[in-house]
Amino acid sequence: MSRTRQQRLRPRTRGSADVRMRSGFVLIAIVLSFFGARLVQLQGLDPREYAAMAAADGSVTVTLPAERGDILDRNGEPLADSADGLMVVADPALTTPRAAELAKFLSTRLAVDYFRTLERLRVEDSRYQYIARQVPARIAATVLDEARSRASDAADKAVEAEKDGDDEALAEYEEIADAYSGLLTERDPVRVYPSGDVAANLVGFLGTPNPDGSAKPSAGFEAMFNSYLAGTDGETSYQVGAGNKIPLGDSTIVEATDGRDLVTTIDRDLQFFTQRIVRQTVRQSGGESGIGVVMDTRTGDILALADDPTYDLNKPDEASDGDYKSRAMTDVYEPGSVEKVLTVAGLIDAGKVTNRTKLLVPGQLDRQDRSIGDYFDHGLLKLTLAGVIAKSSNIGTVLAADKFEDGQLRDYLTRFGLGQRTNIGVGGETAGLLPDESMWTSQTQDRIAFGQSLSVNAVQMTAAVNAIANDGVRIDPSLIKGSATTDEGREVGTDVATTRRVVSDDAAYQTMMMMERVLDPEEGVAPGAAVPGYRVAGKTGTAQRVGEACGCYDGTFTVSFAGFAPADDPRFTVYVVVQDPTNGGGGGSVAGPAFSRIMSYALRRYAVPPTGTPASRLPVEWR
Amino acid sequence: MSSPAPATVRSRLSTQGRGLAGAAVERARLTVVPRRRTRAPKVPFVTLVSLLLLAGVVGLLLFNTSMQQASFTTTALQERATNLAAREQALEMELEELRNPQRLAAEAQRRFGMEPAGAPLFLSLESGEVTGERGEPAERLDLVPNQPTRPGVLDPAPIIETVIGDVPADQVTGQTGNRGDTARGSGSGRGDTGRTGPQQQQQSQGEQQDQQQQRSER
Repeated sequence: MSRTRQQRLRPRTRGSADVRMRSGFVLIAIVLSFFGARLVQLQGLDPREYAAMAAADGSVTVTLPAERGDILDRNGEPLADSADGLMVVADPALTTPRAAELAKFLSTRLAVDYFRTLERLRVEDSRYQYIARQVPARIAATVLDEARSRASDAADKAVEAEKDGDDEALAEYEEIADAYSGLLTERDPVRVYPSGDVAANLVGFLGTPNPDGSAKPSAGFEAMFNSYLAGTDGETSYQVGAGNKIPLGDSTIVEATDGRDLVTTIDRDLQFFTQRIVRQTVRQSGGESGIGVVMDTRTGDILALADDPTYDLNKPDEASDGDYKSRAMTDVYEPGSVEKVLTVAGLIDAGKVTNRTKLLVPGQLDRQDRSIGDYFDHGLLKLTLAGVIAKSSNIGTVLAADKFEDGQLRDYLTRFGLGQRTNIGVGGETAGLLPDESMWTSQTQDRIAFGQSLSVNAVQMTAAVNAIANDGVRIDPSLIKGSATTDEGREVGTDVATTRRVVSDDAAYQTMMMMERVLDPEEGVAPGAAVPGYRVAGKTGTAQRVGEACGCYDGTFTVSFAGFAPADDPRFTVYVVVQDPTNGGGGGSVAGPAFSRIMSYALRRYAVPPTGTPASRLPVEWR
Repeated sequence: MSSPAPATVRSRLSTQGRGLAGAAVERARLTVVPRRRTRAPKVPFVTLVSLLLLAGVVGLLLFNTSMQQASFTTTALQERATNLAAREQALEMELEELRNPQRLAAEAQRRFGMEPAGAPLFLSLESGEVTGERGEPAERLDLVPNQPTRPGVLDPAPIIETVIGDVPADQVTGQTGNRGDTARGSGSGRGDTGRTGPQQQQQSQGEQQDQQQQRSER
């Protein structure tokens, strides 16, 4: 029975199953094709926007600020320091109706100008106005907390007023609540310079930050090592609910890389002292500007590099822009007689003279069509080479320099580092000017032998004199301890400093013995530079100065004193330069005493005992 | 299973009269033992599973709640840490301000009347010998900062009127003189370095070089 029924039904059911299957598949295919189309739309056409929308839903992204590296002195004392700071921002759309009340609130707490704040709170068509920048985080947070509590008080009162049906009070309280909630804070790191003007010309400062909050370095190391100091900001994004991070929610984190600390070779206390002495010297001599350099003889570390006039890093606006640079590096001048020690060191090294070589020094030396004179009138003098240095005779130096072979003096000066940048990490350094071989005539050589017709910067000159102090070996000067990379990509610092022998040990020793005679109370020209108890070797310089206006010698002078102590075992080389002193003083009377005080302080600070050996008694005259 | 069963019955029917041997053989044949149905009580198992599930759900809930709680605490503590770090920084800045060498020097000089030391004496611990020269205290440091530069608007350059008279220029511009250690007289009669004035600036190159050579310095 069942079989016959099955047979009867089979043709019909078989057909209908196919139809059902087909129509089912078609339906599924239609639905799937919708899915497919949607998939293409989401993934193919604009995947990023959708992904961003999905990510933004309930999640926040926070920048993890990288801390800017500090600038430290050699002992870790801060010259520039970073601190958390915030900027206070207002939304004028909310604050305008209550601007007066808010301005009073802000001006009393944030030390901002009342009227300017009032104006900013009322700016039309704006939703973002700075009220105060670089406010220490703690102060800003306190102010914002108070603003928030006032806003919520007002909101509570508004609710009460609504209950009472007092429309006027309701509107007023809502306005107050809105106004106080129209204040926001944003990150705005503060750079502080705890030492004020100490090493200001080297450190530099950060100007008002860029609108995106990144630092805007304006001078000095801050600008030169900006990327080294800055570091890289990180970022984290996570999902939040009710102001709290949702545990196990999606979160990504890119850690910030903090900037590295820049350790300088500067000794903060010595730098401070040197700056004060240089300023005092410039003031007392009526000079235009002054430079003081203290260098560690053995390592080439620059312990102090003082410029005057200088400025307070925390108040750069009060100084003129011209005072921001480091004159010791960017300004060139003719070194004058200080250079004579390089000439004679070269002469002795070349085996042409000794410090006892006898010279007949006439009162005036006629060379080609011109004549050379000394600063003091004299007849025919019988001076030894030591006497020439001790009395700073131009004629004697020129006569001695005649013994050089062609090009020899230039070679020596080049090896002493003149005419080349020191590259110690200060921006805008000048190379100085050592005339090219093609320009080198016998007249040029005469003038260069006593320090005119060539120009140097103060650090170059210090390093050159230091080579004599350091037994004839020149050490590259350094301002950065260890090493650091400038924004130009140059590696600088003590790690990359090199040494090279310039003159022999013996030549350096003989030169030192002559330089000691410069400070002799009877024979020398600079007894004022002596340091009680110590043997000191030094040399004065009073050079004619090229005026900026005319490009010629304008009757003004550069006075200087370079020296080292203790003379027979030097620890420090100190160089003091004063531009255009108006009191009529020279290298010995203006720069000498400043040298003495700085050197005395350095020796005391580093507890250098006197060597106790007898001072040089080289004869200055012969019979 | 259904096919062996009727076969057994059939064989049983057909061998009914075949004697005892057949019966014995018949008896020795193995048959499948019907499966025994165990009736374990379901209630404990269901209870166990439900309890496990419940414990899981409740545990998860508690875990989640405690995590949420921890998250609140984290936020609160982080805020506190930020505040404390800001406070520490503020105090450190204050400290640095107090340690500023300029302030220390001013305090030492004004408040305590201290003076910069002169040259020290050295006592050698080995020989007991005292070396060095005792210096007088040095001059006090001048700590008055420079006056801030006034902006150009407030500090205009002086207006200088130059009046040209009929006095010879030589007599008007003298020497700066009194630069004891540098002044070299104008005995040579050539361009005098002490002179200042516009006409000096336009001197010939040769004269400038004269000046360089003749002008001595130390």
